[in-house]
Amino acid sequence: MSESSVDQERPSQPPLPLAPPEFAALYQTHSRAVYYLALRYLGDPPAAEDATHEVFLKVYRKLNEFRGESSLRTWLYRITINHCHNVRQSWHSRNLVTNADEAVWENAASRVDSPFRVLEIKELGERIQKALDGLSDEYRLLLLLVADEEMSYDEVAALTQQTADAVRGKLHRARKAFAVLFQQAEVKHETPNQTHTPGARAAF
Amino acid sequence: MKRQTKLTPQEQEQLSETKSQQTPAREFASAEELLRHDASQVVVPPAIAERLSESIKNEPKPAPSWWRRLLGST
Repeated sequence: MSESSVDQERPSQPPLPLAPPEFAALYQTHSRAVYYLALRYLGDPPAAEDATHEVFLKVYRKLNEFRGESSLRTWLYRITINHCHNVRQSWHSRNLVTNADEAVWENAASRVDSPFRVLEIKELGERIQKALDGLSDEYRLLLLLVADEEMSYDEVAALTQQTADAVRGKLHRARKAFAVLFQQAEVKHETPNQTHTPGARAAF
Repeated sequence: MKRQTKLTPQEQEQLSETKSQQTPAREFASAEELLRHDASQVVVPPAIAERLSESIKNEPKPAPSWWRRLLGST
């Protein structure tokens, strides 16, 4: 999927023909969450499509093994995260992934509590992706999981194999880093060959 | 060298007003809220459902869940 497939209207999920009704309903309910996590975590729409397909195929095969010990969403995310980790490891082994530079945001002035003011909704997805790409894998994943209102801190902690307190601590740094990178993504996008006035188009 | 046309302050103000009318600002209170908005705008490509349906056609029928097997055996 390209960024152009982002719809301003209320989007609906495509039906899943030929599948058993229970599985089709599951796909209908959770496919957007799985696809979105894969899309923003991997930053690559074709890879996110592949990931979503693989995740739901695995779910189809293993649905009888789901015992309800965690929520269905958590179970789906666990499979998605494992798949995405494997994909990223493959990319790392081919040196296609750049490492995030923590000094960029550690030294930058940014107020996490300030609102994100956005003027260019049209290209917002690209800008968000640029900001997420600058984060470490762990910070990116934490932000994406916590953004899902169906996920509690405890569930995120279980998924990422750490305590809820550790999640909260890292989230604070992740939010700060994202805010800095989001601001930078706009500046770079808006004025590639010009000097810029910080805060002219985005306020934090 | 003569400079290109330069907008007067009034014209600049009018232009910025017009631009701001065309692109209303939107505020998000947090990174999570911004991401939730982003997620709500993303459409799952229909090609995934089509691929999945094709793949499922080639799969053996999944075994009934453990609790169904349990209930069925009693």
